[in-house]
Amino acid sequence: MRLLTRRSLALGTAALFLSVGAAQALADRTLLNVSYDPTREFYKEFNAAFAADWKAKTGEAVTIEQSHGGSGKQARAVIDGLQADVVTLALAGDIDQIASKTDKLPKDWASKLPHNSAPYTSTIVFLVRKGNPKAIKDWGDLVKEGVQVITPNPKTSGGARWNYLAAWAYAAKQLGGDEAKTKEWIADLYRNVPVLDTGARGSTTTFAQRGIGDVLISWENEAFLVQKEFGADNFDIVVPSLSILAEPPVAVVEGNAKAKGNLDVAEAYLKFLYSPEGQKLAAKNFFRPVDPASADPADLARFPKLELVSIDKDFGGWAKAQKDFFADGAIFDQIYRPTN
Amino acid sequence: MSVPVRVRNLEKNFGRYPALKGVSLDVEAGELVALLGPSGSGKTTLLRAIAGLEQPDGGQVLFGDIDANSLSLRERRIGFVFQQYALFKHMKVFDNIAFGLRARPRTSRPSESAIKAKVLELLHLVQLDGLEARYPAQLSGGQRQRVALARALAIEPRVLLLDEPFGALDARVRKDLRKWLRELHQRTGHTTLFVTHDQDEAFELADRIAILDHGRIEQVGTAQEILDHPATPFIDSFIEGIARREAQAREWTKPHVVASR
Amino acid sequence: MAMSDRVLPLAHHPERATTETATTKVILIAIAVLFLAAILFLPLVTVFIEALRKGWGTLFESFSDPDTLAAIRLTLLVAAIAVPFNAVVGLAASWAIAKFEFKGKNLLLTLIDLPFSISPVISGLVYVLLFGAQGWLGPWLVAHDIQIIFAVPGIVLATVLVTFPFVARELIPLMQSQGTSEEEAALMLGASGWYTFLHVTLPNVKWALLYGVLLCNARAMGEFGAVSVVSGHIRGLTNTMPLHIEILYNEYNFVGAFAVASLLAGLALFTLLAKTFLEWRFAGELAASARRH
Repeated sequence: MRLLTRRSLALGTAALFLSVGAAQALADRTLLNVSYDPTREFYKEFNAAFAADWKAKTGEAVTIEQSHGGSGKQARAVIDGLQADVVTLALAGDIDQIASKTDKLPKDWASKLPHNSAPYTSTIVFLVRKGNPKAIKDWGDLVKEGVQVITPNPKTSGGARWNYLAAWAYAAKQLGGDEAKTKEWIADLYRNVPVLDTGARGSTTTFAQRGIGDVLISWENEAFLVQKEFGADNFDIVVPSLSILAEPPVAVVEGNAKAKGNLDVAEAYLKFLYSPEGQKLAAKNFFRPVDPASADPADLARFPKLELVSIDKDFGGWAKAQKDFFADGAIFDQIYRPTN
Repeated sequence: MSVPVRVRNLEKNFGRYPALKGVSLDVEAGELVALLGPSGSGKTTLLRAIAGLEQPDGGQVLFGDIDANSLSLRERRIGFVFQQYALFKHMKVFDNIAFGLRARPRTSRPSESAIKAKVLELLHLVQLDGLEARYPAQLSGGQRQRVALARALAIEPRVLLLDEPFGALDARVRKDLRKWLRELHQRTGHTTLFVTHDQDEAFELADRIAILDHGRIEQVGTAQEILDHPATPFIDSFIEGIARREAQAREWTKPHVVASR
Repeated sequence: MAMSDRVLPLAHHPERATTETATTKVILIAIAVLFLAAILFLPLVTVFIEALRKGWGTLFESFSDPDTLAAIRLTLLVAAIAVPFNAVVGLAASWAIAKFEFKGKNLLLTLIDLPFSISPVISGLVYVLLFGAQGWLGPWLVAHDIQIIFAVPGIVLATVLVTFPFVARELIPLMQSQGTSEEEAALMLGASGWYTFLHVTLPNVKWALLYGVLLCNARAMGEFGAVSVVSGHIRGLTNTMPLHIEILYNEYNFVGAFAVASLLAGLALFTLLAKTFLEWRFAGELAASARRH
């Protein structure tokens, strides 16, 4: 009996190591896509589609590995040596960081692909509880007394910065560009935030799973995803009168891809994002495709039309927005006081 | 089997503190010698240096004609009985005594049956027949002491060294063991050195006594020699108690004194 | 009667005093039990309830996910390297510290404790600073095509660092209290150093060693912070069980997350049971050695 268990243990261990080896031997080539949080579901589907397409075109099997995390943290990991063949991050600024800290990416990476290397866009919307009990219609309702707003911390979360800038753009427009009054309005808004999570997914979980707050300021795709995961009869999406255009960019990390002999497949992978099939999958996973023609009209119908401000035109680009609003001692630090 | 032990100008420092300042001592084959002195006099250091447990800073130890420095610890074959016995507490009495035989290299290791015979013989010698299956924790202090001795004797030592052999025992057991050890020594005839701080013990048990103070040997001699001719004022005061008791004992043997008690 | 009347008021005071301490005792125990229930037991139960929320079928299904299996395999692999390594090195370090006198002994003791006193995140970051592409050894590693961080070697290194003190910390006090006399006795009896170690030193510390190994293993499998920093979070490749739990949770796969969590919690419960058993055995051995003196 004792002998038997010992033997089966040895067998189990051997099988374990063999299967590790087998998994690595299975695919001829593997491509690593280092991405940010809300793209998990999209890339899961997209990777399978791309692998099939590549196999059909070249006869070669390719496996795509995924790494997800906060956009800034992921960029840091690539700088520190994470062997990403491609990066698909939330902000152009994060890819700029990789380009400036390493020589693995050309400085003009954004010009390599159409639409500033952003194959899909998104925007910021509100997610409220079913039936919208607090009657939230627009940004103005978020500063009302007794409304609890869930949004992550702009100091740590890329998504939270989009949220913040969208709110700012709305207030600046409403208040005629008066900066002092806008600041005051933003301060009122953050006074209504009971929990500042460190990341977008954390805020979503706080709102949807833990049931805290009346409204979640969220990525559009994330809001749709919550409806899908938790049931559409639990949450409503509210589209404000004005929001911001988010352009999550993609780039080949040429240094790594070349070293791994993956340059061709990495480039094909990103180009496939712009293909009709890629665009269709983006729309299906709640990202707004840059080329709507190839997307399913039913998917497109979910995206409401709204006025969108742009980070480049309205805030002078990410570098300036970062310095004006989120650097230490900048506007966010001036207006935000933790309530307890 | 027994060999003489010669210690030549032995020196040992612990950091800046000198524990032995050039100690020389001759012990004849089969002799029983006590190392006596107050605590801190260097007597235990001397014993451990002879054993090889302390590396001397200078001087020489000879077992017969062999320089101890040329021998590794395991080649010295010295029977050492520790103050707290240092029995292997996870082993039975039998395995404790057999340890030294089983630890030998394969070529010189006796067969298990030979080991068994030897262990039982030693158990009989130390009067612990039938206790071989006990653990040390199940023995009295005196019994542990004798196991430690049997364990040391098992390796057929050149020399037997005992560190405060009766230090951890109560007074009555000490007296019995003292007598018994004397008899055992007469029977086995090992060259034996033992450390003690107890004058009575040294004077009663040893053939000769080496009195140490501050890392030096102050006097070596038989009990009578030391009592009659203390070499230094220190010896004089150190053995004062014994001398007085000796004198009293002589008095007590007179009939009228006994009667008055 | 009269006597008992006189005695009563005297006896009354101590009696009241003891009732007071009894009440205090009950309250203190109640607080401790409630605290443990709220802080330890409830969360642990939650893990299993959440894992079973959608039934056993879904639970087993989540274990057939290849990424989950890969995370379990990686965790076992990392523990299989880190724990024996730390057991051997910890034993050697404890031996050196407890049985020998040498310069820098206190420094070594402090170094052994260091992983306990620094945040695991820092433990991970030092490896990024050392082996990262921008780190001290980064250029050399890149030139020789050696990948340490964001790969299995980095995860193993971080785990080894974080779990290093468990075995050593368990052994050093015990070995120090046991002293060196048994080893000296063995050497005087002609045993070699290795024979002495195997037959005297090791048997004396075996339960403590096993105890340390258990704790070390539990931590090695459960480590999050340090491993998170060096992992790179590549699905199916560099995610250990704790990292995979976070990922599954963030993907709204609560059953999957809690299924893996229940495995880790099961390991914790096993460790607890084994630890209790060892403490019981171990206490017997310690008492035996105490009786000896």
